Amino acid sequence: MLNEYYPLVVISMIAIALGFFVVLLGSILGPRRPTQHKGQPYESGMIPYGPGTRRISVRYYLVAVLFILFDIEVVFFLPWAVAFRKLGVSGFILMVIFAVILEIAFVYAWKKGALEWE
Amino acid sequence: MNATLVIEWVVKSLVIILVLTGGFAYTTLYERKVLARMQVRRGPNRAGPLGILQPVADGIKLIFKEELTPHNADKFIFTVAPVITVVPALVITAVVPWGREISLFGRTFTLYLSNVNVAVLYILSVTSISVYGITLAGWSSNNKYATLGGVRATAQMISYELALGCAYIGPILIVGSMSLVDIVEAQAGVWFIFLQPVAFLVYFLASLAEVNRAPFDMPEAEQELTAGYHTEYSGMKFALFFMAEYIKMIAVAMIGVSLFLGGYLGPGIDRFPILGPVYLFIKVAVWLFVIIWVRATLPRIRYDRLMALGWKVMFPLALLSVMITALVLLFVES
Amino acid sequence: MTQQVLAKQVQEVFARFSDGVVEDQRVGYQGYIVAPEHLLDFARALRDECGYDYLTTVTGVDYLADGKMEVVYHAFKTLGGPALEFKVQTNRQNPIVPSLALIYPSAELQEREIWDLFGIRFEGHPDLRRILLWEGFYGHPLRKDWKEPYFEEVAKPFKSRFPDGKVYRAEDKHPLKDNIDFPEGFDPAKWEAEGDAALYKALTNIPGADEPGIKTEQIILNFGPQHPSTHGVFRMAVLLDGETIVNLKHVLGYLHRNHEKIGERNTYIQNMPFTDRLDYITSMSNNFGYAVAVEKLMGIQPPERAEYLRVMMAEFTRVISHLMSIGFLLNDLGAFFTPMMYALEEREMILDVFEAVSGSRMMCNYFRFGGVAHDVPDYIFDKIKGLVFERLPRRVDEIDAYLTKNEIIRARCEGVGVLTPEQAIALGVSGPLLRGSGVPYDIRRAEPYSIYDRLDFDVVFTEHGDVYDRYLVRLEEIRQSIRILQQVVKQMPEGPIQIGKSTYQVKVPPGEAYGRVEAPKGELGFYLVSDGKPNPYRYHVRSPSFVNLGALAPMSIGSKVADAVVNLGSIDIVLGEVDR
Repeated sequence: MLNEYYPLVVISMIAIALGFFVVLLGSILGPRRPTQHKGQPYESGMIPYGPGTRRISVRYYLVAVLFILFDIEVVFFLPWAVAFRKLGVSGFILMVIFAVILEIAFVYAWKKGALEWE
Repeated sequence: MNATLVIEWVVKSLVIILVLTGGFAYTTLYERKVLARMQVRRGPNRAGPLGILQPVADGIKLIFKEELTPHNADKFIFTVAPVITVVPALVITAVVPWGREISLFGRTFTLYLSNVNVAVLYILSVTSISVYGITLAGWSSNNKYATLGGVRATAQMISYELALGCAYIGPILIVGSMSLVDIVEAQAGVWFIFLQPVAFLVYFLASLAEVNRAPFDMPEAEQELTAGYHTEYSGMKFALFFMAEYIKMIAVAMIGVSLFLGGYLGPGIDRFPILGPVYLFIKVAVWLFVIIWVRATLPRIRYDRLMALGWKVMFPLALLSVMITALVLLFVES
Repeated sequence: MTQQVLAKQVQEVFARFSDGVVEDQRVGYQGYIVAPEHLLDFARALRDECGYDYLTTVTGVDYLADGKMEVVYHAFKTLGGPALEFKVQTNRQNPIVPSLALIYPSAELQEREIWDLFGIRFEGHPDLRRILLWEGFYGHPLRKDWKEPYFEEVAKPFKSRFPDGKVYRAEDKHPLKDNIDFPEGFDPAKWEAEGDAALYKALTNIPGADEPGIKTEQIILNFGPQHPSTHGVFRMAVLLDGETIVNLKHVLGYLHRNHEKIGERNTYIQNMPFTDRLDYITSMSNNFGYAVAVEKLMGIQPPERAEYLRVMMAEFTRVISHLMSIGFLLNDLGAFFTPMMYALEEREMILDVFEAVSGSRMMCNYFRFGGVAHDVPDYIFDKIKGLVFERLPRRVDEIDAYLTKNEIIRARCEGVGVLTPEQAIALGVSGPLLRGSGVPYDIRRAEPYSIYDRLDFDVVFTEHGDVYDRYLVRLEEIRQSIRILQQVVKQMPEGPIQIGKSTYQVKVPPGEAYGRVEAPKGELGFYLVSDGKPNPYRYHVRSPSFVNLGALAPMSIGSKVADAVVNLGSIDIVLGEVDR
């Protein structure tokens, strides 16, 4: 059973090694002559005003929270879909109930304007 | 578990990674050529015949380019972020079958690295990881464009991941398995694009948004945010982001082909299993062509509308499609 | 309302200011001289009572010999008709003039330009900073007594650089030699523009900012000068709240070369190729504007065939400019170059025509005072026929079919960057920007020049004033231009193309003239003052892009960042003309 997972570990290790190798390659072969001006963050050629990393608008957090909520829903759907034929009608009805509860939340969020990008 | 098995895994992994990186290089050329032809021009044709050495030239240029790190950037995260982005792209296709079993050197090989029974879940989870790379890249650059591009990318990708996740469910419902091998084999009769047209459409659009391609290429919106999250990256670190984007493009094409277009199946596959990869290659090439075509044709959607489309249209639509599929299946079964 | 009634109203207004407004008595001059203390009242009366609601040009002249500076205004009626010119005079030592920016918002940018180049201070101006030069620049270069580094002589042609067989360079005499030495203690790497602090201060100075309430963090972001979508070295400093624009200031001058100072040094004919470099996409129209202005001053008329050739070239230029503008607008919307490439393909065809008649594809230098430089060769005339009767109409229909109904284009353009007709007139914008806002004002109809009064075409205008409408206006104007071209090709008379012989010097009588044409981007005006010498005493370019940029901030405030880029694209600027 677990045999199918070992190859994934193998390929992940190779991929990570490749990623670091490429970064290393660039830093070894590429020239490195930093100057004061080269190191400035790019802002269309002007000297940036204020720090580059700011507090991020709260709307993005809202999206993240909503995502977690509904992504879990999707993840619940997956095993249900696999076992759908075995579960039959009762499984369908239970899933509908589950989905409806979440959809109420979804509609609530929609009506509250959580999905508006203004 | 024995030594030959380990060697087989390593060889297969290397093949996948090499094919993907080579595919990435030539997808860039393919894209430039196709775009050029659509725009009444010729595209790269200087490096080698028909410009086939262009990706090599690009690669060499990027390797020997100076890498800059902005002042006040978080150096560690700045370096690691491209790796975090590229690794998921490379490993995501490990579960996609390239064909049936073939016999070589007196051994039977399966033309896939792994046939995990949660393949779709694996794909979903691995794609999520690459979001981290993009967010961290944007955040660590100490650049306003990059920060804005990074959070935009994150919000966009996670929004469309929901629709994408729902699009997977349709085929799984029909097949009753999350293994991509099972899903492909189940399409021997009829491709799922015909059984699941809505899911296919949602998958196609959501995957465009997922890999930041036009018309959803918001995070890199050149006209507003210059280059978005990778504004400050240069040289090979930039190449890694570029690579991740194109490999993800190939990956979503491979997954989409497997889910909806019959994967490696095609006429004569029973007699010559070696044709599997060929069919897969052709289908992926067509899929990529459509992606490029869309890029050449459509302007970009504005960010707020993009988010609205993801949340208010695609997600409910995909969910509805799932429910209807389940209902129809219930009737057919009983 | 007839012309007469209005004229009567004008007289009444003049009567009210009896001593304050007098007719300009100098030889060759028109208009009225207004006393500075009456200027505001006079302007308000002019706008509200006489219908001169459209102030397009404000410029300055430095009369060094008289010890005076003059600010010259040209106001028009949006109903059409000639200009009403009025002037304000002030002393050279401490020049102060009341600002018209609050009565005619179109004056705001141009007054800043005058302050920058002449040093005339405008009282009551909301944001009087330098505009083309940088903060900290020494002096005001358009004053007649200002001399640049390497100054040689006041006017061309200069004396020989090889007086006795040896080259002589002005820079050899200069204290800074080749200009790479810096004063003691000056480190260019550490130098910071003083202007930025003033700019950011002006940017964050918004009314109502001190009101109580929940505040979100606002960031100042620079778009440009080195940015992919600013159409050149143009800079927008924006104050952002999330992705919404709270305030926007644009910064110009990165391509400034003081075209006007150079123009005053050149002879009249030397300026002709120089105007090509203003809006380098539409060099033929620039030539046209300059030729019209100088001919007004000289009092000559080109022969019939030359007029037809001029109109033909100007309309071809309009087709090029509008096609490229549509292409670039789509680029700004994020379409990956395809529409622009299609537009450029047609442009190349038209440039072939330009090359055949003038020898150059972009910098045509085709017009002369009293005619054009060359006749059209026969072989190219067949190509022109093919273009205007077959290829161009077909291609315009094709672009129409591809773009106009596109869902994404409509979603991104409709209702974006709205400019009301009132705003448009007040801001003095011209060209498709004005007509897109529902003001059917086209100089070819409002104050016809050349042979436009004989040609059959419609003034295109739409009502919503958004980006989509501007796109529609441009598209339809291409069709109208093709219509004009078809008539011109059919009616092209035979005959000479120039009056008299072509000469290197023209004799221009003293006086002033303001000549304007409807360039593709709007009103292109040339204000010339001649003192009878071979060089213009004053040479001012009223460029459409520069004035139209005034509409960028009103359009963009309150919209998204992405929309600001599209708004800029819909204004269609060319930096060669904006910065001059």
